[in-house]
Amino acid sequence: MSQSKFSQDAASIALEKFRSGEIDRRSLLLALGGLGLAVALKPSVGFAEASEIVLCNWGGAAVDAFQKAFGEPFTRKSGTKVTVDGAGPSTSAIRAMVEANAVTWDATDGGMTDAVTLSKGGYVQPIDYKIVDRTKVGPGMSAEFGIGNYVFSNVLTYDSAKTKGVAPAGWADFFDTEKFPGKRTMCKWVQGQLEAVLLADGVPPEKIYPLDVDRAFKKLKPLLPNLIFWDAGAQSQQLFRDGEVVMGNIWHTRASLLRKETQERLTWTWAQNLLFVSAWSVPKNNPAGAKVFDFINSSLDPEGQITLLRLMGNGPTNPKALEMLTAEDRKISPSTPENATTQFKVDPAYYAENEADLQNRYLDFIS
Amino acid sequence: MTTFNRWAFALTLPAVLTTLALYVAPITQVLTLSVTDPRPGLGNYEGLMTSNAVAKVAATTLNVSLLTTIFTIAGAYAIAFGLVHMRVGPRRLAMFLVLVPFWVSVLVRAFSWITILRREGVLNSALSSLGLISEPLNLVYNRIGVVIGMVHYMLPFAVLLIFANLSGIDRRIMQAARSLGARPATIFWRIWLPLSVPGLAVASVFVFIYSLGFLITPALLGAGRTVMIAEFISVQMKTLRWGVATALSVLLLLLVALSVLALMRRPALRAAFEGRPDP
Repeated sequence: MSQSKFSQDAASIALEKFRSGEIDRRSLLLALGGLGLAVALKPSVGFAEASEIVLCNWGGAAVDAFQKAFGEPFTRKSGTKVTVDGAGPSTSAIRAMVEANAVTWDATDGGMTDAVTLSKGGYVQPIDYKIVDRTKVGPGMSAEFGIGNYVFSNVLTYDSAKTKGVAPAGWADFFDTEKFPGKRTMCKWVQGQLEAVLLADGVPPEKIYPLDVDRAFKKLKPLLPNLIFWDAGAQSQQLFRDGEVVMGNIWHTRASLLRKETQERLTWTWAQNLLFVSAWSVPKNNPAGAKVFDFINSSLDPEGQITLLRLMGNGPTNPKALEMLTAEDRKISPSTPENATTQFKVDPAYYAENEADLQNRYLDFIS
Repeated sequence: MTTFNRWAFALTLPAVLTTLALYVAPITQVLTLSVTDPRPGLGNYEGLMTSNAVAKVAATTLNVSLLTTIFTIAGAYAIAFGLVHMRVGPRRLAMFLVLVPFWVSVLVRAFSWITILRREGVLNSALSSLGLISEPLNLVYNRIGVVIGMVHYMLPFAVLLIFANLSGIDRRIMQAARSLGARPATIFWRIWLPLSVPGLAVASVFVFIYSLGFLITPALLGAGRTVMIAEFISVQMKTLRWGVATALSVLLLLLVALSVLALMRRPALRAAFEGRPDP
């Protein structure tokens, strides 16, 4: 009798720990199994009180980096385990999960545009700003269905050996095949591409949206024979390594890797860089429930964001983090004042409304 | 139907049921989205018919698939013709070499072709160091690159299909022709080629149908400049236009079904498809 009472008590301690997030579900079941009590508990208890946050990002080095920057600090504070799944939270994957009622992700790493697109179909839930402190991020980085977890830029990257040390001054030079002969690369996905074309054509930044697509296509048309379109970040990097292109509109994180591996032969200019805000979104019926918002709030702390910048090059969204950067950090961070002097901010609302049509028109045009 | 036939037929039932439950049912469910998403009706199909992008993608897909079929069949016929004339030992080695690419993933092959064909790649550097070209040739990141990659992928399939057909041809006919004084060229044009038609047709249809659905090879070797239907469908998936994506898939399925049906109308080909000897 006393033995069984002790076991029950131990089980309730384990359950309490599990509820407060000190141990995860597997450890709980292990502990209960050891006590011979697993059957006494309804399995639904375990699921309803999941004490694990599952992040989904795009895989590769980002899995470890997210764990170090966002996961570990949160686990230290709350005791809740964070798991990073690198499967790639594409809008279609999230839609499929929500429709199949089999959501396994709590927070997904997508663009601000994805957040709005997903909200239209009702696949994500609003960010709970009672828990998440929106003042932690810069202006325009907190939206109803997504909050900025990092920023990145499309930058004009160039091969300084081929440009004979001359840095292009902006997107106009991207189109100047006399001054800078050779092939260029742009992205096959339309966001941030036509903005660069229109800036090159002299459209003032405040008049870029709504995009004058016909004007952009007219400007781009003569350049088409000199263009290769990249699909994934690694490919954009490879095109430069192979000496296939002299210039490109690529992510600053890839440009930064290129600069490191070539001792600055391949480098980039911040002139007219195109800033994107990436965002956490929370799929409907996420397994950890409201607990995910504690995690999101913690992920906006400056320390973790700086860790991510150092590991991956993704820029912080928290203005406080910018004040804490070293000179070396500032070189690769898109949102510091000196790198943002001629920065253009890509508008997620415009793309949430127009991306599907625009992407098809763009593909039709470039192919 | 004899009792044996009935029993034999019954043995296929588990396979049929599995296919229905795990393949036909889910696919039908997904394809239904084409008339239900975002709203019920034929809106997605109307959209396809009026879209310039779709027309262009369809034209590109047909063009690339036809080019691939022509080059693959020409190359595969030459190889298969050589194979049937080889002695057993060398033939075994040659057959092995034909099959080697099967073991290499399509991704690795695409990247290998990029290494060979790019502007500072193996081929261009060799040609320019020989002084044959002054400017590098544009062999990849365009339609040429896509066709090269696809022909390479399809070649072993076509070689096997054509080889099976050629080795079934009765060689006594050639002996008879020779004894009547026919030259080798005449024997080829008037005996080998006409008797190869079923094999060529089956291989062509197979290569053509397979080519219509290529995704990775055109995406990598075409680099946005050659967009085929499978890639276009994947783009629609990403922008959450599942109705459009599934409507396109239905069209692709119909196109494939129609090309098979059209061929089956010819008795010789039907025989080849059903694995029976020529009637």
